[in-house]
Amino acid sequence: MNHFFKSTRFKVILFIIALLTGIMVYAVSVGGYSLSAVSLFRTIAAPFQRVSNSLSERVEHSLNVYRDAEIHYEQNKALKQEVAELHKELAEYDDMKRRLEELQEFVGIKEEYKDLVFSAPCEVINYVTNDPFGAFIIGQGSADGIELYDPVVTDLGLVGVITEVGEHTSQVTTILSPDVSVAVYCSTTTDHGVVTGNVGLSLDGLCRLQYLEKDTQIRKDKVILTSGENGMFPKGYVVGYVRDVQVDETGLTTTASVEPAAEILDLSMVIVIKDFTGKDVTQP
Amino acid sequence: MNKRMTLGRYRMLQTVQWVVFALLAFVGFVLMTSGSHVQPILLIPLALCISAHFGEIPAAAVGVVSGLLMDIACGKLLGYNAIWMVTCCVIVSLLHSYYLRDKLLNILGLTAVCVAVQGYMDFMLYYAIWGHENVTLIYTHVMLPSGIMTLVGTIPVWLLVRWICRICGSRRSFELEKTIVTNQ
Repeated sequence: MNHFFKSTRFKVILFIIALLTGIMVYAVSVGGYSLSAVSLFRTIAAPFQRVSNSLSERVEHSLNVYRDAEIHYEQNKALKQEVAELHKELAEYDDMKRRLEELQEFVGIKEEYKDLVFSAPCEVINYVTNDPFGAFIIGQGSADGIELYDPVVTDLGLVGVITEVGEHTSQVTTILSPDVSVAVYCSTTTDHGVVTGNVGLSLDGLCRLQYLEKDTQIRKDKVILTSGENGMFPKGYVVGYVRDVQVDETGLTTTASVEPAAEILDLSMVIVIKDFTGKDVTQP
Repeated sequence: MNKRMTLGRYRMLQTVQWVVFALLAFVGFVLMTSGSHVQPILLIPLALCISAHFGEIPAAAVGVVSGLLMDIACGKLLGYNAIWMVTCCVIVSLLHSYYLRDKLLNILGLTAVCVAVQGYMDFMLYYAIWGHENVTLIYTHVMLPSGIMTLVGTIPVWLLVRWICRICGSRRSFELEKTIVTNQ
């Protein structure tokens, strides 16, 4: 073994490690932009990953049907009960009025969306392996006008933000990640807060709404929208729905868990918002 | 004449062998990036099993390729996993040259150490360092299951690599055969 450490082979291996360290340092220095070799490899691998991903999705869906049969049955029962209750509620005038107001709010948002510049629909090539926050790669990059920190959405709601741009691929960090914070407000109560990822909640596909006032009026099922305050996200885009509200341990603020409106862990297509009124990405 | 034929056949089989290994690495990469569930990192046992059959320089090359593929698949800093994989592959190659035989238990043990250290580094440098709340959940819900799946995946990978090496022949067996022919 000692002979090895004095041999040329050992020096070659040390050279390889030094070279890799150099590559790593260079990768850090280009922060947020993929190296062209990586971008090229991702482009070459993309067709194979698409096939493999679609096969994997089919297998996952088939297994989920069997695995979740009991859960679906219980959910179905609960939903039937919920539908009955909703029918009762619909008969009440006050509830109708509240719903009408919410609808008016959404109509307002639709009108506001006119100022957004959307990309063409982007295919989700693959999810980043073992990322606990559901980061994924999309099939569009700088060549398609995608820029760092552009918001990523679906027709249902906000998904995340671009955190790495290659020529033809980009990486998206989702709102389940603690690295992403979104200034939000509630559509009905106008309470303001910040939605961010949380390790514990992300495993259940939820994120956290924090910095709410202690006497907040936010309750379960309220709609949470982006407030557009930090210039990273357009105002009025749906983020998700409140699932649980609780006062913090300090007793000074309230925190809620939010279920993202978009099905973040089961995406096949997303859209990137390339530009919007008030966009300011000088500070991520 | 016979010796030249043997050398030619050996070279051809070696080329086929490395092409198959490259394809296996690519398949491993594609499998790793399929779906959004927790995945085994099959490139680790593949690289270690291949390294066990070859010298230090080929092992280092295998480490570079598998490590860079892992960096791309896992969205890590390019070179981060590659450095660790080069180190592991060279150590595995040296251990098999001097001390260990190509046994499943040996490779399982080495893979376990490699996966444990790689998982721990990932956990510390990418998650724990930021002080997120409940960060240990990432270890118990993502890294541990992935590590266990990787260890289970080592068994078929080891069998497959051993089968390929038996068919195509390793350098060690070729040199042994050559020595026998020369002595005759």
